[in-house]
Amino acid sequence: MSRTRFRLAGATIALMLAAVAGCSGGEGVDVDGNDAAGAGGVLNAAIGGEPDQLDPHKTSAYYSFQVLENVFDTLVEPDANLEMKPALATGWTTSDDQLTWTFTLREGVKFSDGSPLTAEDVVYSYNRIIDEKLNNAYKFGTVKSIEASDPKTVVVTLNAPTPNLLANLGGFKGVAIVQKANVESGEITTKPVGSGPFAVENYSSGDSIRLVRNDNYWGEKPKLDGVRFTFVSDPTVALQNLRGGEVHWTDNLPPQQVPALLDGDDPTVRSVPSTDYWYLALNQARKPYDDVNVRRAIAFALDREAITKAAKFGLATVNQAAIPQNSAFYYEYAPYTHDVNQARQLLDQAGVSGLSMDLMVTSEYPETVTAAQVIASQLEAVGITVKIRTLDFAQWLDEQGAGKFDAFMLGWLGNIDPDEFYYAQHHSDGTFNFHEYANPNVDRLLDQARTETDQAARKQQYDQVAKQIVDDASYIYLYNPDVAQGWSKQVSGYEVRTDRAIRFRDVALAR
Amino acid sequence: MARFVIRRLLQSAVVLLGVTVVVFLLLQLVPGDPVRVALGTRFDPQTYEALRARAGLDQPLVVQYFDYLRRALTGDLGVSFRSGRPVTAIVLERLPATLSLAVTAVVFAMLIAFPLGIVSAIRSGSLVDHAARVFSQFGVSVPDFWMGIMGILLFSGVLGWLPPSGYVALTEDPGRWASHVALPAATVGLVTASILTRFIRSSMLEVLSEDYVRTAEAKGLRTRVVVLRHVLRNALIPVVTVVAVQLASLLGGVIVIEVLFAWPGIGRLTYDAVAARDYPVLQGAVLLVAALFLLVNLLVDVLYARLDPRITVK
Repeated sequence: MSRTRFRLAGATIALMLAAVAGCSGGEGVDVDGNDAAGAGGVLNAAIGGEPDQLDPHKTSAYYSFQVLENVFDTLVEPDANLEMKPALATGWTTSDDQLTWTFTLREGVKFSDGSPLTAEDVVYSYNRIIDEKLNNAYKFGTVKSIEASDPKTVVVTLNAPTPNLLANLGGFKGVAIVQKANVESGEITTKPVGSGPFAVENYSSGDSIRLVRNDNYWGEKPKLDGVRFTFVSDPTVALQNLRGGEVHWTDNLPPQQVPALLDGDDPTVRSVPSTDYWYLALNQARKPYDDVNVRRAIAFALDREAITKAAKFGLATVNQAAIPQNSAFYYEYAPYTHDVNQARQLLDQAGVSGLSMDLMVTSEYPETVTAAQVIASQLEAVGITVKIRTLDFAQWLDEQGAGKFDAFMLGWLGNIDPDEFYYAQHHSDGTFNFHEYANPNVDRLLDQARTETDQAARKQQYDQVAKQIVDDASYIYLYNPDVAQGWSKQVSGYEVRTDRAIRFRDVALAR
Repeated sequence: MARFVIRRLLQSAVVLLGVTVVVFLLLQLVPGDPVRVALGTRFDPQTYEALRARAGLDQPLVVQYFDYLRRALTGDLGVSFRSGRPVTAIVLERLPATLSLAVTAVVFAMLIAFPLGIVSAIRSGSLVDHAARVFSQFGVSVPDFWMGIMGILLFSGVLGWLPPSGYVALTEDPGRWASHVALPAATVGLVTASILTRFIRSSMLEVLSEDYVRTAEAKGLRTRVVVLRHVLRNALIPVVTVVAVQLASLLGGVIVIEVLFAWPGIGRLTYDAVAARDYPVLQGAVLLVAALFLLVNLLVDVLYARLDPRITVK
């Protein structure tokens, strides 16, 4: 009897093994079937999540801009040092009163479908953002009108001098020049048409986005035939894909492994200091955080080195102000040395003891969760009990908007001009001033610097702002993180950028 | 039979209507403002109001619901708040990936669970039986995402046999589909197999103690005939239910596994929609999953009658 039973089971198991063996016959490396001789190949890039949509004016997701950086153009664009350089515009002049900017467009620029890109397209794109009140409308706050005086000339008229107009018009692809027909057909959400080095060929929801070289591109022709973006949210899996050769490039690396990866040469992993900053904000509408001494006490109680080590595995530079060293607006100021006694003294002065602080962090940014634990243990040493609240980002934003927090930790990413982040976060009318900081002196300086056309004077005004914000501990700045990306040995010509823009136009793939 | 099916379909429609109400109301209770999530951190108040109005979120709830229902009846599940694309298309294009993963996982689970369950029931107390119990204990206790990562590290990292993640449509390239589906399906399948093995074993044991089994053996039938015709067939009834429930729940998308393996199915869609508070997509996905669940249950009821003539469909 037993023999028969085992034969029955054995047959089934054999069948199963055969099925599994059959499955393992799949090949590893896949270059998408584009094996034409002399072709540049298709680069497989793994990004950490899926774009919500591909309309550059309507998305706010970084995943979207990772793709769109390669598809669209702006009038000007930041170079490696984040200085604005010609892109679609070859040059520009400003009137003496600084209220009229005249841009000259490049000759013969075409969209990827072959239709010409003219001044009318620029006017259409900007007016779309302004009239429909799209995400980046705030960047056009001082713009009175935009006109095309001829097919090659765009005239921007302003209500007030705007020294950072170029950064507003070219800082990132959220203000890209789009095609009217593409917008009106609704195709822009999945099949946008731009004038950049690549064009979107196919968007397969949940799976991948395929770009092909844009043969109508005005700049130097890209060497690659195309780029295929896949969405791999787990960094361990993304790294495995890179090592296994299925992926040639990824920015989704497990942070704890980056230090070791930087020492190796396959895959190549590079990191550069980014322009982002991460900070702790205390709710000044709540007691006792309205007291500057309490805020300063917390600033003294923090050991930024330890926080950075835990949250970023050392891949960050501690900073007590917002702006990183490599920026033209950097202001060296670090009054808070880690000093428990000083912190205790300040708390005593404020008459605060046995304080319990609610700290809100988000699982969307795991580094805030890790950092919060270190912050909690450091504040415990000065007698503050921290209650960490970890929320998903949607709920986090809700609580922030409603002012329901004692403290939160967050970052501000891709910064170029200080007007944007200082004004939004520290002006009493700022759109992101949820911690309700108000200092008339800072308000005045921010208003002044916003329209100051003398660069040296403007820098000085922002230096004063920076100092005052740190002294008031409006935000308690922690660090500027590095941006780390990795690519396989086959990839050449790629540079990691401090603003996290992903540009594949100069990249080649050895095969 | 036809009347039974029609009646069940009508009942299903009522259940689906209930699902829309519950999902719609539940979403209102979930904290998190979709407009703020969509805008990110940089915007001005006018932009906020404009987007809120465009998405119809400024309308009263009742208006929003009936508007949704009216369009849903015509097959239009609305427009994704985030991507601006029709929800019906978004949900349906994710179906093949989830279907192929769920079916493969269940087949894989059955291939393990049937021999293991049968053998450990027939040879209860044997080494195989003990091994089977250890296996199923392991399968239900170890978290599937951990098993998935271990699978990736072993089969993709160390051995290099399988790609670590990604998806190729079955219709596009069956070979590459198989190599991509193997790891996620095995991960999900192991859990299902553990549950199934236990059920098959206990169900078989129950039937094995029946008088007619002894009679069958006594009249000299071969073991294979007794096991396959008399025991297995009778033991299958509860097993069919478990397989169906497992399949139905897998059709709802295996969220963690789909996210881990970058598998473009319903589970991952749901996950992304929750994070973005994309209500229309979430409603559409839940509605589809509920519909699939009802369909599978209907098929099970019909299958019962085929398996056991004592059960009649009225």
